[in-house]
Amino acid sequence: MTVAGTVAQALIRAARSDRGIRAIEHDGRPLSLSYAALLDDALQIAGALVSRGLKPGDRVALVIPEISGFIRAFFGISAAGLVPVPLCPPAQAGDVATFAKQSQHILDASHARAVVTSSAVAPLLDLTGLDRLTVLALDASSDATPLAEPIRRSMDDVALLQFTSGSTAAPKGVVLTHANLYANVAGIVGPHGLGARTTDIGVSWLPLYHDMGLIGMLLAAMYARLDTIIMSPVLFLKRPSSWLETISRYKATVSFAPNFAYELCVRRVKPSQIEGFDLASWRLAGCGAEPIRADTLRAFASHFAAAGFDRSSFVPSYGLAEHALAVCFAQRLVIDTVDADRLVRQSIAVPSVNGSRRVVRLVACGRPFPHHELRIVDEDGRSLPDRHVGAIVCRGPSVMQGYFENPSATAEALRGGWLATGDLGYLADGQLFVCGRTKDLIIRQGRKYHPPDLEAAIAELPGLRTSGIVVFAIDHLDEADEVVAVLEARASAASHDIEDQVRRRVRETAGLELDRVVVTPPGSIPRTTSGKVRRSETRERFRMGTLSE
Amino acid sequence: MPVPTATPSDPSDRFERDTIDILKRISRRPIDPKLESELLADLGFDSLQVLELVGELEDHFAIAVPLNDLTHIKTLAQVVAEVRSLVSAQEHQS
Repeated sequence: MTVAGTVAQALIRAARSDRGIRAIEHDGRPLSLSYAALLDDALQIAGALVSRGLKPGDRVALVIPEISGFIRAFFGISAAGLVPVPLCPPAQAGDVATFAKQSQHILDASHARAVVTSSAVAPLLDLTGLDRLTVLALDASSDATPLAEPIRRSMDDVALLQFTSGSTAAPKGVVLTHANLYANVAGIVGPHGLGARTTDIGVSWLPLYHDMGLIGMLLAAMYARLDTIIMSPVLFLKRPSSWLETISRYKATVSFAPNFAYELCVRRVKPSQIEGFDLASWRLAGCGAEPIRADTLRAFASHFAAAGFDRSSFVPSYGLAEHALAVCFAQRLVIDTVDADRLVRQSIAVPSVNGSRRVVRLVACGRPFPHHELRIVDEDGRSLPDRHVGAIVCRGPSVMQGYFENPSATAEALRGGWLATGDLGYLADGQLFVCGRTKDLIIRQGRKYHPPDLEAAIAELPGLRTSGIVVFAIDHLDEADEVVAVLEARASAASHDIEDQVRRRVRETAGLELDRVVVTPPGSIPRTTSGKVRRSETRERFRMGTLSE
Repeated sequence: MPVPTATPSDPSDRFERDTIDILKRISRRPIDPKLESELLADLGFDSLQVLELVGELEDHFAIAVPLNDLTHIKTLAQVVAEVRSLVSAQEHQS
């Protein structure tokens, strides 16, 4: 269904079909964008960019809240042979200050030469120290001559610079070539992925500035020349029923979302609304981007059975931005019920026999795509046998080139061609089961948080007299992680509202709700000889209740 | 379309009262919102709940909140002011 080519070449091919994208904005306003019209728009925007002196390979940031505007600008940047760097728009970033800071970090780290935005967003950007940046408001009239055809790029040229987290002062940009994007898209729509059909219709509300919405829906649909409806994430978050209503209205067959979205639907879609939906057409209900909870899938299936939702439609999946997007898709829903104690203590996933005291239900995520490899390894990089938990490593054409201008982070992630995913899992009957993380990354509602950023934010609290701060998540396997902040402070120095202040600080700067704030006496946080806090040891001591001993 | 019900003595109360009711319903813990309360910092809302609030307000008052307005709203007073101005713009049109 897909033909190898750069993003612009794929758009040219898609433009010969009668297919396209229907954009639904945050207020519900729909707009049809045929691939043919998108190509025309892309050449127009590319003309404007080229006329401003931008050269192939230059990075161009892209921050547009409107779905239609984002898509047109993305293809325009690609057609000009430039590298799009998507940014989170202001409404999703939180407040204006957070947005300005996040964007500035990424504009700076990517050495972007231009930013394509809208006239409403442009004034919110903080461009201090970014004098050489060209700002192009997409909705401002352009008298530039359209390009006759896209600027030619090779498959090994960089196609996308995807930043994984904007909350940090040193954000990491994942460098992906056209070959990386194509390899992943081909895997996604191919027979070992979704097994897409020419009659498939996709629906997505996933943010386009993230890999799952951008590569998984927009680019996959465009390469495969499928009709797709792309809704504003804001519309979904305001009214989760709008997602299901759209699937129902357009008789869509494919739609993906993180676990939390399925949970949100169970919680917020009323039984009276369900009666109006027909979800029988939805044959591939993808779930990924964060740990998948068997209980969530079960609750969703039973909540929406009355609307014709079929439990066998679930497609649990696993992936990460460093692997373009997807690593594997399950072909059917398989749940492994294993002994929780042996999983935690011995790192072995033993199927529970009747009478096991504590069990964990893990969801199978399938097998790697053709030409891609996946292994489970121990700390020395040796492959582990089936059902032994270890680090998930991947190799193949979807693996990123590295982190942009960050050789040390790249060397840590890419070892001998293998990508260290930072996730833990095991294989059973060839299927991957994901069950934790080796990195300290905290994942909430599909968003990733780096503990050092949260610790730095807390440390900046005025008047806080602390000798150490550690933030970590405790992985509860089949329920939501618990995020804990440990602060070292003398009892006399710890004002009574220190907990409130810390929570408030983390909420304001990162939009994350801490589950526990613990104040311990100085000297309780374990440290390295050079005085750096040992995060995982702190977590272990906290779990065992031995932190302040 | 919003239907003006039996004219309340002070119409501004309706916006404040209904918004507070919706806030309390959405919150995952008991809250006592004041006009100066900040949604994120004081009431413990996350960005998801803020959008849930916007959705509920849009349905309740039959309004559409412009995307860019969201980034400027921090306190309950600002929410109520936004709702009031959108409803009155709406009534002027009809």
